[in-house]
Amino acid sequence: MKPLEIPTFQPRLKVLNRDQALAIHAAALEILDKTGFRMEHPGAMEMLADAGCRILNNNWLRMPSYLVEEALKSAPTQITLYDQKGNKTMPLANGNSFYGTGSDATFTLDLETGDRRRAVKKDVENFARLVDGLENIAFAMSMGNPEDVPIENIYVYVFAEMVKNTNKPIVFIADSGKDIAKIYDIACQVAGSEDALQRKPFLLNYSEAISPLRFPENVMERLMFCAEKKIPVCFPSGSNAGGGAPVTLAGAMALGIAENLVGLVVHQLVGKGSSFLFGPNVSTLDMKSSVVSYGCPEWSLTQAALADMRDEIYGLPIWAFAGASDAKVMDAQAGAEAMFSIITALLSRSNLIHDVGFLEYGSTSCLEMVTMANELISMSRFFADGIPVTDQTLAIDAIERVARGEPGSIFLTDDHTFEHFMQSLFLPQLLDRSRYDSWKSAGAMDFYNRCNLEAKRILSEHQVVPKPDEVLKRINEILQNL
Amino acid sequence: MSDIKALNEAVIKGDIQTAVTLTQNAMDAGKKAQEILDQGLIAAMDQVGDRFAKGEMFVPQMLRSAKTMQECLKLIKPQFQEGDVTSKGKVVIGTVKGDLHDIGKNLVAMMMEGAGFTITDLGVDVSADTFMKKVQEVEADILAMSALLSTTMPGMRETIETLQKAGVRNKVMVMIGGAPVTANFASEIKADAYAPDAGSAVIEAKKVLGIS
Repeated sequence: MKPLEIPTFQPRLKVLNRDQALAIHAAALEILDKTGFRMEHPGAMEMLADAGCRILNNNWLRMPSYLVEEALKSAPTQITLYDQKGNKTMPLANGNSFYGTGSDATFTLDLETGDRRRAVKKDVENFARLVDGLENIAFAMSMGNPEDVPIENIYVYVFAEMVKNTNKPIVFIADSGKDIAKIYDIACQVAGSEDALQRKPFLLNYSEAISPLRFPENVMERLMFCAEKKIPVCFPSGSNAGGGAPVTLAGAMALGIAENLVGLVVHQLVGKGSSFLFGPNVSTLDMKSSVVSYGCPEWSLTQAALADMRDEIYGLPIWAFAGASDAKVMDAQAGAEAMFSIITALLSRSNLIHDVGFLEYGSTSCLEMVTMANELISMSRFFADGIPVTDQTLAIDAIERVARGEPGSIFLTDDHTFEHFMQSLFLPQLLDRSRYDSWKSAGAMDFYNRCNLEAKRILSEHQVVPKPDEVLKRINEILQNL
Repeated sequence: MSDIKALNEAVIKGDIQTAVTLTQNAMDAGKKAQEILDQGLIAAMDQVGDRFAKGEMFVPQMLRSAKTMQECLKLIKPQFQEGDVTSKGKVVIGTVKGDLHDIGKNLVAMMMEGAGFTITDLGVDVSADTFMKKVQEVEADILAMSALLSTTMPGMRETIETLQKAGVRNKVMVMIGGAPVTANFASEIKADAYAPDAGSAVIEAKKVLGIS
């Protein structure tokens, strides 16, 4: 008989019990049914009214719970994102977590000078290429609002820049139904056709309602466009505790989830079965500076709670953040905050995790920070993989060989070590464990400087597989005709 | 402790009930409304602003103080003749066209009001024309514009151009702010001031009007 295999427990964070999860969900339904929401898109309003929502005055609607239940039933429980060459790289389902960058930062830390300056188009290119070259960064967002492209079509330009410089999946932003159509044109060129893009989507749209409970027309245009075209979407409003939402985390979550559910219902009414990545952004408004914090424990806590609600109730893959900081430079605070959110996002099995590499509460992007996060994610994945327990890993034979072997026997020379150390241990690439003297003679570099060198190395050495000339030509035509 | 000092402390603490009672007492005792306003309320809010800037107070505490002041102001306002209340300046404020975000803008409006400015809040999604007309109508000293989305920032430039065309640009100081807005952008569109947050908005407003 074959010996029984012991399954490996993979460490898992849980922050809500079932009663808490159900109570937050019930509160979200109550908000929609009793308070209602403001829908500013006439088409969406009509559709919701036809489906069973009650119209109050001034664009206010109230939504009965059964509409939510129906939408939750028709939305797919797995969203698969492909890379731009058609490979399945991001199956977003229960236990899978993928990290990527963020969007729309006004500033960046210059790789050469370290100075904070306005982002330009070249930065969007650099971030996309860096993402392409980093093993643990699965998808790209723009990481910048460049000042050197026409602002009316800024999202079309940054999208074009991303597809030219990475083949990984892209999470993108648009302004309205107009520019999203152009972005869609570009995406179809990359995929080969509309049909190919629908079968193997490499992109996901990020749109957001305005908390509390306001759904602007241009936001709904985007959402409905994506539902119709089967472009996967997420719809996280900024229901930040003390900002767009009540200061208590349970209430902020209930509000954010309510807003998300309105998005989901409209989305499923327009395109039944289209992919909807669930989840609000519930960070906090800092009570001194009034910034929305990107390094706080609250955001990590609420998204871990959302993961529990996914498992208990929703069954849809979820949106999350990690690897960002409120620090102004990539210092110890940046490292601490980045690691806190990276490991908790993974331990709670968040699915699509964005904002990796942000400093200054999301206002400044930092190439070194993305490079650092790549290593921290690798460290976290090692931890979350747990400890396999088998005859091989228990290594009784090796213990016997060394303990009872010839004098001078050590584990380092044993075959068991040679055969297993690569899989059994975390082998850091940028985290420094060298002895003091060698660290000193190698330039006494701190983590920031090592990440700086590594980012520069990747940008100079990594080759992004280029798009065919014909595709590039058509993308440029689309840009010229904007 | 003098009544004024006690009123000061009640405003700083955000104790609405006590502050209102003390204001009523001061009025009943024959204290001048202007004195209550200057020494009791605005002096307290100056201290609040100061403590907030030093990080010794949190936003909700600062806003509660502002609310306390407003409640006291309701009591003493009838004592003033029309146009008699001294204001630090008249401010027209709003979020620019296409942008529906208002948390930051509201915070700025509250803080400026607390500091003694008279506020006309136009809300969100405000067109250049609406800004211009309101500035003319109330003879504003300051026009304050906010944007959260970088795609709506051009609305600020457009408003300044509209003020220019209407011939009122040199009669009003223009301040801008909001997450994507920078000092460079402010000088590029020839705004008079840029404030990165609500606290500095008050300081900048005082600066451009030449008051302390």
